[in-house]
Amino acid sequence: MWPFALPAVLINVAIILVPAVLTLAAAFVAWDGVGVPAWAGLSNFQRMGDDPVFWSALSNNVVWTLIFLSVPIAMGIIMAAALLVAPRGRLIVQSIIFLPRILAVAVIGRIFQGMIFSPATGVLAWLNGHGLSLSDPLADPDRSLYAVAAVDIWHWWGFLAIVFLAAMRQVGIEQIEAARLDGAGFFALLRHVLLPGISPTLTLMLILTVIWSFQVFEFIYIVTRGGPAYGSEVLATLAYRHAFLESDVGQAAAVACVMSLFGLCATAVYLRLQVRGGQ
Amino acid sequence: MPPSRRQLFAVVPFAALGAQLRPAVAQSARKPVTFWFAQANSDGQAALRRNLVEAFNASQDKYELQLEVKGAAVNNLLKIALVAGNGPDIVQTSGPSYLTAIANAGQVLALDAFAETYKWKDRFLPALLNTSVFGGKLFALPRDYESLHLFYNKDLFRQHGWKFPTNRVELEQVADAALAKGIIPFGAGNADWKGVNEWVMTVFFNNVAGPDAVRKALSGELPWTSPPFVEAVELSKTWYNKGFFGKNYFSLTIEQAFLQVVNGKAAMAVGGTWTFGTKSYGMSDPNTVMDVAAFPSLGSAFSGPLFQLACGATLSIAKTSQNPEGAAAVFDFMLTRKFYENMNRDWPGKWALPVKDLSPDMLKGIGYPLFEKTVAQMHQAFAKGPYGFTIWTFWPNATNSYLIDGIEQVWLNRMTSEAYLGRIQTLFAQELKEGKVPPLPPRTT
Repeated sequence: MWPFALPAVLINVAIILVPAVLTLAAAFVAWDGVGVPAWAGLSNFQRMGDDPVFWSALSNNVVWTLIFLSVPIAMGIIMAAALLVAPRGRLIVQSIIFLPRILAVAVIGRIFQGMIFSPATGVLAWLNGHGLSLSDPLADPDRSLYAVAAVDIWHWWGFLAIVFLAAMRQVGIEQIEAARLDGAGFFALLRHVLLPGISPTLTLMLILTVIWSFQVFEFIYIVTRGGPAYGSEVLATLAYRHAFLESDVGQAAAVACVMSLFGLCATAVYLRLQVRGGQ
Repeated sequence: MPPSRRQLFAVVPFAALGAQLRPAVAQSARKPVTFWFAQANSDGQAALRRNLVEAFNASQDKYELQLEVKGAAVNNLLKIALVAGNGPDIVQTSGPSYLTAIANAGQVLALDAFAETYKWKDRFLPALLNTSVFGGKLFALPRDYESLHLFYNKDLFRQHGWKFPTNRVELEQVADAALAKGIIPFGAGNADWKGVNEWVMTVFFNNVAGPDAVRKALSGELPWTSPPFVEAVELSKTWYNKGFFGKNYFSLTIEQAFLQVVNGKAAMAVGGTWTFGTKSYGMSDPNTVMDVAAFPSLGSAFSGPLFQLACGATLSIAKTSQNPEGAAAVFDFMLTRKFYENMNRDWPGKWALPVKDLSPDMLKGIGYPLFEKTVAQMHQAFAKGPYGFTIWTFWPNATNSYLIDGIEQVWLNRMTSEAYLGRIQTLFAQELKEGKVPPLPPRTT
């Protein structure tokens, strides 16, 4: 058996384990990315803890996670259930809601930045020209994170809906029909039949959402670069800033370790649930 | 026996192939010189191919210059490639603040022997050349000089009877008058490039606190928390909150903001020398509405306008280069009069070589009066002084990064000026101790 697993093991060691170990090691050195690394002990973690930007980035990651554990998941479940119970036009609706997922992140970011939110060239400018008085949410440190999250949700929720729909189609038709005969409405059907039926898929998506939320980078980097005034800074953009703008690879690696910690916790929970499910 | 007709026909294709191959063989005998360039628009790329690659390769038969345009991430790529020993022969960085780490790590060669051969130390302006001297050795040549300028719509000024300001009081009077008429005083936006914050702060630090105070702070003789710098940051905050930079500073791109000035919706703009290279502004047109001058003093530390010294790119030779002589030959080719004239004509503002014997007078007649006048003024200022110091050239990386993002916290009332400068001082002191601060030019009289 082992020889069959060897290619996968080699690839995983080369592109996951080795970089992961090197990143962990880099968190304990002072290195500008081009010279010779010097042992720094825990000082990178100490400086990270003293940096108020780190704590605001961490709290932004928590907020981001809570948003993505609720809004797009709820949207996806409701849409999937609606498509299940009303299959007419399902193909067209699926295609439309999945479309944002196949667009490049950079393109979506620029569309929202320049054509939606911009007070000079966007829909916002048009609305302001017609009597409204709206400001660019991307320019407000208190709203910029939510504005970028809205962009990402637009890109993401359709994918979730398709995944949940696929899971719901595995639920026994006799269960659904029995519930309907008992007089269950849309939300009762969803609550008592469909959600329990897709719970393994739902759990997996919730756990993956936690992992992905602590790795979020592209949308924020493209749309706001973590600003203004660090208002939408998250751990990944902070790590990028440390590594490539400040030439402080050790500090970047320390932040990356914190990111990984959350991912590891979520993975541990998932594995535990898997084991429990297996038993 | 003479060859038959069939044999002759058979030979013809091989002879033709041989004729094709001969130049290729001769070409491959040339030693390659590899060069990674950062960002270049389509005009810039065409100018590079024509005026540098093709012209250099045609000028001699020993080396073949191979240029690749790598885009904005070139600084990151370069570091990784150099550490891996796979960098290009010619190492171009985005200026001394990027070069410092690379030179300190010994990833580039000392150029002193080549400098001796080609007389570079005699030819370059000391103010620029010294920014690449580490431990008494020269590690790079400055590709250009840059500064920040006050661009303004002269038609708008004339229409409203405003005089070009020569001090802070006059500048604020013009800005207030513009605001009263619904005109944005300064067209500014950082939606596509946060570095705009450092352009603005370069002006405030130098033109409020004065270049002497900035030099002392960069040398570690004066803390950044000193009163002149507090005044500079406070003034920037006052201007931001009065709306001098408009309501959409965080939403507009650089081009959108500058076009507000060209279109008369804004009166002035802070822009770098590279601004001359953007064709959509129409500033090369003899009938342009735009004019440009050095930024006036904004404090009592000095009087008169001030240019801020910047080096936008440095050129070095990789430690692992297989062809350092070829790279040096390319550098020397760049210092020829023909290259200087052609590049500045085709891509203004990107290749203003700080070379004494390439006088800006040579640019007269390239058909860009505003650029010609500005380069002449900069050349004189950087040759004789006094001049200020740009953040992207003289500030070390971590301090620079915080300076750019932290100032937004001050402008948006999330942090005091004192706390902001305190953090800058902490970061700067650490980087100064670690030898990460780029070298300063020699003092001028």
